[in-house]
Amino acid sequence: MEAVSRKTITVGVNGEQYEREVDARRLLIHFIRDDLDLTGSHIGCDTGNCGACSVLLDGTLVKSCMMLAVQADGAKIETVEGLASEGELNGLQQAFSDHHALQCGYCTPGMLMSATALLRENSSPSEEEIRKAIQGNICRCTGYVNIVEAIKAAAQ
Amino acid sequence: MTETTVTPERPLVVEEGDVKPGFIGQSVPRKEDKRLVQGEGVFFDDVKRHEMGYVHFVRSPYAHARIKSVDVSKALELDGVYGTLTGDEVAILTDPFFELSTPPGANIKDYALAVGRVRHVGDPVAAVVARTRELARDAAELVEVEYEPLPHVLDGEESLKDEVVLHEDAGSNTVWSGVFDWGDFDAALVDADHVVRIERLHFDRFSSTPLECSGCLVEYNRGTGQWTIHGNHQMPGVGAIWMAPALRVGIDKLRFVSQDIGGGFGNKITLHPQYTACCLLARKLNRPVQWTEWRTDQHTANTHGNERTFLDVTVPVKADGTMLGFSVRAIDDCGAFPRYEPLGCIIWAQVTPGCYRWRNVRVDFTQVCTNKSPVAPNRGYSRMQHLWLTERIVDIVAGELGLDPIEVRKKNYVKHEEFPYETPNGCIYDSGDYARCLDIALDLVGYDSLEEKRREAESRGKLFGIGIGSTLDSGTNNFGQSMILNPELQFSGNNEVATVKLDIFGEIVVTLGTVPQGQGHETTASQVVAEILGCTPDEVNVRAGHDTYWNSTAGFSGTYASQFAVTGLGAVKGATEKLAGEMRQLAAAVFGCSPDDIELVESQARIKGNPEAALPFMALGAILNANNAGLPTDLDVTLNVRHVYRPPFEKPDLERKYGNLTLTYATQIHACALEIDAETGVYEIVDYAAVDDCGNRIHPQIVEGQVHGATAQALGAATHEIFTYDEEGNLLTPNFYDYHVPHALDMPPMKTGFIESTSPFTPLGAKGMGEGGGAGIHAVCAALQNALGRRGEGPIVWRSCNPYESVWDLLQKPEETRKLVSVESR
Amino acid sequence: MLLREVEYARPASVQEALRLLGANDGARALAGGQTLINVMKARAASPDVLVDLADIGELRGIELGSDGTLEIGAMTTYSDIIGSAEARARPILGEVCNQIADVQVRNRGTMGGNVCSNDPTNHLPPLLVAIGATMTIVGQNGERSVPAEEFFLGVYMTAVGPGELLTKIFVPPGKGDGFASVPIGKDGTCIVNVAASLDGGAPRLAIGCVDAVPVLLRPDSAEDDAVRAAVRSANLDPPWDVHASADYRRHLAEVLALRAVAQAAGRT
Ligand SMILES: Cc1cc2nc3c(=O)[nH]c(=O)nc-3n(C[C@H](O)[C@H](O)[C@H](O)COP(=O)(O)OP(=O)(O)OC[C@H]3O[C@@H](n4cnc5c(N)ncnc54)[C@H](O)[C@@H]3O)c2cc1C
Ligand code: FES
Ligand code: FES
Repeated sequence: MEAVSRKTITVGVNGEQYEREVDARRLLIHFIRDDLDLTGSHIGCDTGNCGACSVLLDGTLVKSCMMLAVQADGAKIETVEGLASEGELNGLQQAFSDHHALQCGYCTPGMLMSATALLRENSSPSEEEIRKAIQGNICRCTGYVNIVEAIKAAAQ
Repeated sequence: MTETTVTPERPLVVEEGDVKPGFIGQSVPRKEDKRLVQGEGVFFDDVKRHEMGYVHFVRSPYAHARIKSVDVSKALELDGVYGTLTGDEVAILTDPFFELSTPPGANIKDYALAVGRVRHVGDPVAAVVARTRELARDAAELVEVEYEPLPHVLDGEESLKDEVVLHEDAGSNTVWSGVFDWGDFDAALVDADHVVRIERLHFDRFSSTPLECSGCLVEYNRGTGQWTIHGNHQMPGVGAIWMAPALRVGIDKLRFVSQDIGGGFGNKITLHPQYTACCLLARKLNRPVQWTEWRTDQHTANTHGNERTFLDVTVPVKADGTMLGFSVRAIDDCGAFPRYEPLGCIIWAQVTPGCYRWRNVRVDFTQVCTNKSPVAPNRGYSRMQHLWLTERIVDIVAGELGLDPIEVRKKNYVKHEEFPYETPNGCIYDSGDYARCLDIALDLVGYDSLEEKRREAESRGKLFGIGIGSTLDSGTNNFGQSMILNPELQFSGNNEVATVKLDIFGEIVVTLGTVPQGQGHETTASQVVAEILGCTPDEVNVRAGHDTYWNSTAGFSGTYASQFAVTGLGAVKGATEKLAGEMRQLAAAVFGCSPDDIELVESQARIKGNPEAALPFMALGAILNANNAGLPTDLDVTLNVRHVYRPPFEKPDLERKYGNLTLTYATQIHACALEIDAETGVYEIVDYAAVDDCGNRIHPQIVEGQVHGATAQALGAATHEIFTYDEEGNLLTPNFYDYHVPHALDMPPMKTGFIESTSPFTPLGAKGMGEGGGAGIHAVCAALQNALGRRGEGPIVWRSCNPYESVWDLLQKPEETRKLVSVESR
Repeated sequence: MLLREVEYARPASVQEALRLLGANDGARALAGGQTLINVMKARAASPDVLVDLADIGELRGIELGSDGTLEIGAMTTYSDIIGSAEARARPILGEVCNQIADVQVRNRGTMGGNVCSNDPTNHLPPLLVAIGATMTIVGQNGERSVPAEEFFLGVYMTAVGPGELLTKIFVPPGKGDGFASVPIGKDGTCIVNVAASLDGGAPRLAIGCVDAVPVLLRPDSAEDDAVRAAVRSANLDPPWDVHASADYRRHLAEVLALRAVAQAAGRT
């Protein structure tokens, strides 16, 4: 085993396998957005505070700007693009729309992934649990009120 | 935590608008959502071009320094680097951006990159373009810049002394200054029973920091000499006015394109320097270039909200608590370059007396440059700072004279029956009922049981306070106010445009002149169109985003200053009415009847009283566009119409600085209850209510969403969000670690209520309301003041942002801030 | 946001990791990356080689010994601790981990990384000092055991030397613990934090954010006066930053020390 500065990695994203050669320094979010052209996941900061880049990595919620693409070699990733099936919004997405849980929509993909992670573990979260679950996702538009409402509604 | 919406028993709809009830006023599903919840929005950073290069700016580590040399040779040697741009090149290839001010501000030279000098930490000195983002940054590190540090000035008051001058060409740090004097302040002083003086108040620097940072992808077409800028400029029309002359081209050479924008809040209005640098690079390197601003760049070098110091506030008060006005000396710190300034030196005057019937106001206003990041019209632009002053005045006066802050407000508020109300400087407050809004807010936070709550909190060792923030969100500017600052500026009035067409298969297609960033324009426009054409919003296609070549624009097109519900929808309404007229004419020609006999219902044009004689929209579209033989030769219809909405404005009286500066005034009255842990200064908002009155609500859910968002931003600004600099001029809060914005757990339970006071002046009776006036900041300051001490004993909350340590300080040393106020009673 | 060039390896054993770390002076262990990746994004530090510990199974996991001692692998994440039944043997561990940042950070950030980065505002250094944890450090020359109070040497500096790895953290049993902090916003960065433990007989207090390393105090008793006296006699000289002056930190240290001890006392 030797350290390398470039590596071929294989990742499954939303059920599709991708094989790409990447620089070791490439952040996972840039790999997803720029190399795979899955631009649904966003970037809102450069310090891991905002959660706009949140994805599920082997089922675990992570900020994809806080790891390297090479660290995801062999992993399965879920992004916002994988939530709807054949253009049909899933319950959570629909609840976000129904409850006006998005304005500019920039935080929304990350927010949806955090909510997805929450609802998989806890099908009837309390308001406090919802807030705790999205604490790592900054929204500058909504004040979170309707996001919390939407997640509550989706849980039911 | 629960969210309650309180609908008052009888909304104050004073008169019915000229549009019948239907889709307008309903929270129909947002058209924007379907793409956004699937990650299918298109933000600038999602746009890619083959062989594009990535731009990285080399930024100044000094607050103020002379640039002795810039050497890009090592950067150019790096494999994968496509090219560079320096300030020297910029000085040759472009002219300085035009300045809005009169001298001295007018003489400032502002370029796309620093020329000769850097004036704040983060000021861009050079730009590098490379094959990957990472390489561009590697190369930027190889650019060698030699600086000769100069003394710097970071404080507005210090800067006034001109001991260090930022802009040699201007010869002074003062950008603009002037005295505004309305009513008879001296007489009011004589008339007063008490005169309350406040030595100093300070509105801190912050910004609403949209989650998406700025950026663009710029393509240059050598054949046509045109640039296409895929970006997130929120006011491209004005961007082009700055950029085109600087680039020495006609305005038509700049095409701005944006679909989705991740929030703006005014911070994306002054992107012209960075965009100009990208234009130069795209042309020089003959390849598309892409610039993504990172969070740290945005905080250190994009834009902040105006920082303002208020000195010598003097308030004449009658024995019964009637305030007669106030005088103040305001020093506004606009950072290193004015850019959109000095407009902030007049914008506040839209709300000169706040919500109050104050007739005598004297404001001595000066704006200065400092070695900090430039400012831009951050949400609540300039009015928020001023309204914070008016609210601080009310609470401090009440505290000093032992008056009830609620009663004093009610006594001094403009009364419901006084609308439309003319302020001392000639602005017309269109409609409202401030006292009623306040009552609703108080109800929501259970004001009746206030003393009980206070005792209960005290029993837990907490200090309890309640505070009110009453504000106005003035919307739809009369740009004539800029002439009060600079008579040479040939701007006045306002306008917005929309086009509506009926296409060949019956599609209704709308384009807007605006540049939405989350305000739901596609949705509300479709409601208005559907209402007038007798179809459903689903049948209305509103083109997403903005494209200068595609959408028709007017001189003031854009998304800013709380105006879409008035100007944007006014344009949509006008265009749709024209289209409806044409559709009736066409149907009448087909049926051989009079257009007056035609009605538009159920997506058909039909003869009134005869539902059998109906032409579906598809038939109308097809007939005119593809099957028009035999139509009367004098039938002049295109089914493709444009309307420019122009609000009714006069030019202001420049001599008296007098006139109607804005068309509508939405009201926001907030009430905040908080508890302070006296041992640590840590406080928590335990109850919060926001009551909004924006006239007729087109889409209540969207209105409420704006209220929530503006409140969250205000609470952030009141508690933690502050741009603080060290002595060397380094920003100490350059990222979301140190610049703490509210997260989900930080937000208090929020209750909202509303009334609807129809605006008599607008096409739909609606008022712009997106900015919110910063009511949350005022309410938190008032609640802190209330908790910290009552009856002229406690410390004075004199800053807009009060992090925990400030509160602890206030508690420790009340005498330090008590010194700031004095009362002279006769 | 954009890192300097770096090499990357993901070894499967501690031995292999040590070899890689030893082979290059510029090599650094990569645990959860929730500090290190940020540091590299800012280009504040740029290791030549990253040795990712993610595949080393022996570094991850929580075991409860027969004497009640918890043996926690360095690569155990905060979320692992929060969700672990064993970790409840020392309840304060999960409670404090649950206050760190947010779900995403807790899912990646590790016990080992938290203490090895020794950011003075981190939650775990004072906690582990107060509860008397012991760290196991492995190097080319074998293994050693270092008590938490000797582990932290300076800002971002610990007893883990170049080429070495922290492999395990041992936490003795107990429940009489407390933790009090003033963060910037809920679950934000701490301005001051204090951990207290009354289990080992004499009270142990560790104050974070006021010095380069957690300040360990052993007041004579858990009485307010004794705690106050201990904090005062420590003559704290805290750093100032944009969030707090030295004075304010000094003041908070005292208030929070009392609160942490009170919480601990309520649980013994
Ligand atoms: C938004 C955000 C907020 C945060 N807020 C907090 C907070 O409030 N409180 C808090 O405590 N933390 C906070 N953190 C930091 C977080 O807890 C980190 O996870 C932690 O500091 C480092 O752990 P890590 O596993 O991510 O380590 P890494 O970042 O991978 O490593 C950190 C350092 O430790 C070294 N290292 C790691 N493991 C070992 C090992 N086994 N042996 C030798 N050296 C090793 C690395 O080489 C590196 O130098 C925050 C992080 C983020 C992104
Ligand atoms: S971009 Fe990943 S946390 Fe902000
Ligand atoms: S909707 Fe704009 S940031 Fe959340």
